[in-house]
Amino acid sequence: MPAVEVHQLAQCITCHAWSPDRTMVALCPNNAEVHIYKFTMDKWERVHVLFKHDQIISGIDWSLRSNKIVTASHDRNSYVWNHEGSEWVPTLVILRLNRAALCVQWSPKENKFAVGSGAKTVCICYYEPENNWWVSKLIRKRHDSSVTSVAWHPDNIFLATTSTDGKCRVFSTFIKGVDTKDSGTSSSRDLKFGEQIVQLDLSSSWSFGVKWSPSGNTLAYAGHNSTVYFVEDVRNSPSAHNVAYRNLPLRDLLFVSERMVIGVGFDCNPMVFTKDDTGLWSFAKFLEERKTAQSNSKYGSQFSEAFGKLYGQSRHGANDGVDSLRARGIAHENTITCIIPLQKEGDKIVRRFSSSGLDGKVVIWELDYNTDIPE
Amino acid sequence: MEEENIEAMILRIEHKSKKIENLLKQSKPVEALKTALEVSPTNTKDERCKSANWIVVHRAMMAIRDVDGMFSSLDPEYYDILMKYLYRGLATGDRPTCDQCLRIHEKLTEKAGLGCILRSLADTVNTV
Repeated sequence: MPAVEVHQLAQCITCHAWSPDRTMVALCPNNAEVHIYKFTMDKWERVHVLFKHDQIISGIDWSLRSNKIVTASHDRNSYVWNHEGSEWVPTLVILRLNRAALCVQWSPKENKFAVGSGAKTVCICYYEPENNWWVSKLIRKRHDSSVTSVAWHPDNIFLATTSTDGKCRVFSTFIKGVDTKDSGTSSSRDLKFGEQIVQLDLSSSWSFGVKWSPSGNTLAYAGHNSTVYFVEDVRNSPSAHNVAYRNLPLRDLLFVSERMVIGVGFDCNPMVFTKDDTGLWSFAKFLEERKTAQSNSKYGSQFSEAFGKLYGQSRHGANDGVDSLRARGIAHENTITCIIPLQKEGDKIVRRFSSSGLDGKVVIWELDYNTDIPE
Repeated sequence: MEEENIEAMILRIEHKSKKIENLLKQSKPVEALKTALEVSPTNTKDERCKSANWIVVHRAMMAIRDVDGMFSSLDPEYYDILMKYLYRGLATGDRPTCDQCLRIHEKLTEKAGLGCILRSLADTVNTV
């Protein structure tokens, strides 16, 4: 079984993030709080509640080296939380947004973080030691709709975004005084802050879950039209490869290795995509085997589940839908919205990762050591 | 320029229509459907082109008797575009058309999955 641990930690989880040593998990139980759970004495114990936001928290990221938590919320603000003594001390980051913040991620060097928002903008935030203050710099007038996800290139300069206008874009986030000229980018020309490197117009519907491969050569994102897009050689001559699959759309992706991607979304069951020797990506399998895979009755049963939910529990019993999902042997019982790697630092291949979703579960997955993972 | 393109497209659809009639006379309904679905005017906004092509697709679709047999010779590359036309057919509200669309829809969903439905519903740019 690839799902090694299933933890019911809330009714619904909007996002989660792990502490650097992977012993604690921070999650938002679909409200304005962040709950930090620690695994002690073979059970999960809630050790901290971070409460400062006014509205739902849509993004959490926990930095690996500096041990800081950044949160982004629908209340249009971010907080950077510092662990001082036994308390988590928040620092307000004024993002200067007029719509909700939707996603957040620390840059690889952890000197910046990026926030995507419903105001069609991306905020790049960096620390100013003179003022003890996080400054937000905006990339404006580039997106035609909400920014649903952000992903940092390993070079700490390039940032990829997806948006509900269907496009995926890559920007330079070079900030004078924070980044040095030799920090990563091999391209000779000077890149200004906010300069658009490439715009990918592949999906005609919302796009989500952009990710870079570990080397930063390949970019992947999911469309809301049950298609996942892989783009090779983004910087020089981008070449795209679309994979349409027969199931419900994905919300988030994770590169397990240079040639293997796990996608999670509305199908409740993670999907595996692999790249073959000729460079073609394709859908490989579901991470969990469906136990009752009778193709004739499958859609019928899904529809009756939906009807069961619509017409109330009186006719079908309270947990009808849930039970049939359990019977199918699926760890998640609702849409999965978030997938996070759990590898040790320096590992080339991500064999452990966790996912959370609308069913309020955090599921830890482990790929067997004897399964073949193309590097 | 745009106007010329549309005229060329209409001509092509007329040509397609003749070809389909011939194929139907030779009782090759699946070949006719394939021809109808090929080079459909999806990325234009011109309603005339879209309606003209829909009439052609509709003609071929209604001639299908054996739905299971159809799928044994219809390649997966046609699935997404066929699904879009099925929804257009269902939108007409015409009884025989809807019956036929639902019959094909059931089999197509089995073959191409819910993803195919999602692709046809989510696509607001390439419409039929």
